[in-house]
Amino acid sequence: MKSLSLLFSFMLLMVFACSKQNNFDEREINLISPEKIAGFDPINASDRYSGNEAGKVYEGLFEFHPLKRPYELMPNLAEALPIVSADGLTYTFKIRKGVLFHDSPAFQGGLGREMKADDVVYSIKRLADPKLNAKGWWLLDDRIAGLNEWKTKYSSAEATNYDEEIEGLKKIDYYSLQVKLKKPYPQFLYALAMPYTFIVAKEAVTHFGKEFLNYPVGTGPFILPKFEQSSMITYVRNPKFREKLYPSEGEEGDDKLGLLADAGKKIPLVDKINVHIITESQPKWLSFMKAKDDLLEVKDVNIQQAITPEKDLKGEHKEKGVRLFMNPVLDVTYFAFNHEEPIFKNKKLRQAMNLAYDRVGYNKMFHENTAFEANGPTPPGLAGQRKEFKNPYIKYDIELAKKLLAEAGYPGGKGLPTITVQTRSDTISRQQVEFFEKSMRKIGINIDVGMNTWPELVNKVTKKQHQMYTMAWGADYPDAENFLGLLYCPNQSPGSNGANYCNPEFDAVYKVATIMQDSPERTAMYEKLNESVAFDVPWVIGFHRTDIYLAQAWLKNFKHMEFNHSQFQYLNVDLEVKKQLIKKF
Amino acid sequence: MIKYIIRRLLYLIPVLLGVSFIIFVLFNLVSGDPTAVLLGKNATARQMMELREQLGLNKPLFDQYLDVVRSAFTFDFGYSWATKQEIKQMIIQGAYPSLALSVPAFTIATILSLIISLVVAFYRGKGIDLFVRVTCIAGQSISALAYILFFQYFFAYKLGWFEISGFEFGFPDFIPFIALPAIIFILLSIGPDVRFFRTVILDEIYQDYVRTARAKGLSEVTVLLKHVLRNAMIPIITYVVIQIPTLILGALLLENFFSIPGLGGITLNALNSSDFPVIKAMAILSSVLYIILSLITDVLYTIVDPRVKLK
Amino acid sequence: MELIKENSLWKDAFKRLTKDKWALISLIIVLAYALVAIMAALGIVASDWAREVGAGNLPPSSEHWFGTDMFGRSVLAKVVRGTQIAMSVGLAASLIAIPIGVTLGALAGYFGGWVDDLITWLYTTFSSIPNIMLLISITMILGKGIFAVYIALGLTSWVTLCRLIRGEVMKHKEREYVQAAGAIGGGHLRKLFLHILPNVTHIIIINTSLQFQFAIKSEVILSYLGLGVQGEPSWGTMIDDAKLELSRGVWWQLASATFAMFLVVLAFNLLGDALRDSLDPKLKGK
Repeated sequence: MKSLSLLFSFMLLMVFACSKQNNFDEREINLISPEKIAGFDPINASDRYSGNEAGKVYEGLFEFHPLKRPYELMPNLAEALPIVSADGLTYTFKIRKGVLFHDSPAFQGGLGREMKADDVVYSIKRLADPKLNAKGWWLLDDRIAGLNEWKTKYSSAEATNYDEEIEGLKKIDYYSLQVKLKKPYPQFLYALAMPYTFIVAKEAVTHFGKEFLNYPVGTGPFILPKFEQSSMITYVRNPKFREKLYPSEGEEGDDKLGLLADAGKKIPLVDKINVHIITESQPKWLSFMKAKDDLLEVKDVNIQQAITPEKDLKGEHKEKGVRLFMNPVLDVTYFAFNHEEPIFKNKKLRQAMNLAYDRVGYNKMFHENTAFEANGPTPPGLAGQRKEFKNPYIKYDIELAKKLLAEAGYPGGKGLPTITVQTRSDTISRQQVEFFEKSMRKIGINIDVGMNTWPELVNKVTKKQHQMYTMAWGADYPDAENFLGLLYCPNQSPGSNGANYCNPEFDAVYKVATIMQDSPERTAMYEKLNESVAFDVPWVIGFHRTDIYLAQAWLKNFKHMEFNHSQFQYLNVDLEVKKQLIKKF
Repeated sequence: MIKYIIRRLLYLIPVLLGVSFIIFVLFNLVSGDPTAVLLGKNATARQMMELREQLGLNKPLFDQYLDVVRSAFTFDFGYSWATKQEIKQMIIQGAYPSLALSVPAFTIATILSLIISLVVAFYRGKGIDLFVRVTCIAGQSISALAYILFFQYFFAYKLGWFEISGFEFGFPDFIPFIALPAIIFILLSIGPDVRFFRTVILDEIYQDYVRTARAKGLSEVTVLLKHVLRNAMIPIITYVVIQIPTLILGALLLENFFSIPGLGGITLNALNSSDFPVIKAMAILSSVLYIILSLITDVLYTIVDPRVKLK
Repeated sequence: MELIKENSLWKDAFKRLTKDKWALISLIIVLAYALVAIMAALGIVASDWAREVGAGNLPPSSEHWFGTDMFGRSVLAKVVRGTQIAMSVGLAASLIAIPIGVTLGALAGYFGGWVDDLITWLYTTFSSIPNIMLLISITMILGKGIFAVYIALGLTSWVTLCRLIRGEVMKHKEREYVQAAGAIGGGHLRKLFLHILPNVTHIIIINTSLQFQFAIKSEVILSYLGLGVQGEPSWGTMIDDAKLELSRGVWWQLASATFAMFLVVLAFNLLGDALRDSLDPKLKGK
């Protein structure tokens, strides 16, 4: 008994002795990743959070301007925007000189060498390497002349030969290269700003072999010598980072917000970034509220704790200097019908279900009224979505819904089988489908909730074994094509068109529009596409959501950014402010 | 003795064959196709086909079973499908935080339960007995979730006694991180422990030798500690040791909520992404551990109680 | 003669059970839960649990005793409906586990030799895979829903019973009455089922009362992992909801489900102990 109480007091003592204090000596920022990070190989950085981590150590040829909106590409490892041939097929890139890879034992003498055109060619080829089965391959599938052939050639060979030259991917000299496309691909430059195409060094890949994903050797502003499965990833500033400056222009009003205070300064502006991996919502919230973290992406339940019903930051947070950022996201949520199911060929049934869906109640319950009812697949903020367009079936009208349901041949839901909606098995997803079920019951349609782990859901969708499922689609790059493609017939399962929606008229316009360069004509065609499917309601269309972020007063230069993997190098911290305010926490 | 140990170790072979068979049936045979989820939201049909080929999912079933068996005996689990990490490394890295949490918590819980159950046995049938039992059962029947949500909010956030979440490698750095989850762990396991220990101790109390001991004029406390406890040790050790393999899985919920990067989280992730090699590795590892530990228990018996002979 | 002894043992046990007032209360609680579960299953109570009875997230009041959930459904109705799920999970798991466990355990204990080796191997294999992992993977593979939960729990909980029965049968096999039955020409099966099994029933009863609560608690964990019951309220899903609600101050759903679970788990525990004390002849001297 005695020894036990001794043990206890010892433990308690340890606890108090070890409680961590805030650090004011180092210019560090603390961020949260709400998902576990699998590794650092850019070609597999398919979700936003692994992209964010890869973006701290690796860089691409282009990046999105951190301040300008609508999103604008700017050259990063490329020296300038490429020269594009008249037919839109040949791109000539100049590479920035003097860019060094991080020091690593992979290089001779352990010193990082200069990045050159060969590295770009190599990094793009890696995406196509049949041995690697990269998650990002879809981005370049059937795009670059000779790349698919190269991939096929080595798919059954022992090893992939990177030395073999590909017609569409040639280095011209150390600092320039040429890419030939098979057909116009106006989104190509976006592809070169995505984490998939970040530049890696061949030496590092060969030296670390299968462990490469744990030893990121990039050219980026921060260094992570080794990645380990842990609850925190710590990056330190890259002392040999090239002369890259904080932008001196941005969107209108950025000046007033203080976003240009660091204009012209050499980045990165902080010495250290700690990323805490916290997956559950309560610890995430509490960590931020305890000032352990500087930035918080507010989701689901925490929305109510953060903002008032008038969508203003709650007083208790204002007092501590916390700032609120609310910005619409380029995404769309939907309940997809499986159009191969005979009952869903019935347009009136689809329309009735759209009309019966209580979006206002849903928005209040799950998004605290911060989401926007979607009129079609394309979110506002992208060319191709007219602000004044209103989908006649996106409203809550039970009477009309009942009428259409009767016209569809199912008066009061009679004769209609119970429809199973597949969703993920987490709490929020279940509740969301329960809400949908409640809405549909009002017009006599019976819904079953099918809960799945993520692989099961993906499998059901790719194998077309579902009646309906619910999904949110986030933009890969800011182009309506990325959303309209969700309804393009050739993209049907296992592609991104999980609804298996096929509409020849839509497909014909889509085919033409998506290979056009950005132009008023293309925008008009996108608008037409977006609106034509609106009447056809291929899904029960949901919402375009809003990103809600809370930032501590001392975190500087944060601006909401959808494609934010390159954003972290611009962040800054004001230690004076932190010292003063920390007492309030 | 040595002969016995060797024979028991050889018993590992059929059991591992059985475990591999169950795992094989559950995952290779009946469970879904992992390729779609492994390739991300923009996967193409062709790529899925190629991946199936690469992962060996197109091999004849018997070959697939042999692969499972092989890894069970060589401990070469290969690479995770979902994270592409080497499984051996994942397990080594994950074992540290898991054990840092579960070993002290488990030890304290066991010792505490033993003390409580001795006290309860001493006062058997009296009010305190019932009270302690009800409290213990109450403690374990409140959902772990409720403890976590409340304790994290109150003790870690409001009072600031502990870290809210996270983990740091190295002793004693991890203590503030594991203290709170460990307390919850203890609260949850005291209930069943006390229940079991109490029964075992009471079983012994009514044996003849106890009556003899009392008749000799020994005090009740001495009888309890010297005679009863010693004889109750065998079922207690068995009970305790059998639980150890579950410790490497860690406390799943606790790890999740306190962001402890342990094996529980790894297993859960693997289950959630059809990461078959990782699941297989965890199952095989824990069954090997189980068998070796039950062997150790049997050997321990002879030390605790010389009357026990190994067959 | 054996039968008479048997009867008196049970009568004796029952008498002792009724003398222990806590055991009696526990028994009444368990029976009450069973009654509620049966009534819910027959649709007599809580059949309209999905109906909205008021606004969402109303705290407990005289009108809604246990408050309402986010959709405005009565939490009381959900708890009652959840009782049915919990009790049925316990019952179904036992119905699967008892035949398997008893048959295998009895065969192994009685025949010994290679039969014993085989069955011991089988349960060692099963018990060496962590329970939670088996549970999760079986439910995942069977495609979720209440039947998957039944089967998963049944398939994981026969092991303990099998081990216990095996040991007990081994002991009885050598006893005089069995030898005597053999002498008057009883076959193996006759001896096993007519003579030995009735004498080990108490093990089944005690074990079942404990398995029941294990099943109920497992359902909660499975629901948390999204592998539980679907389309019906269960205590597990109610507790799972709390993860998101508690921060908004909505505590009544968690409290109701926890209390409902606490009461029945407590009752099963006390009852199990009491049963053990009164049925196990070893403790007769108490």
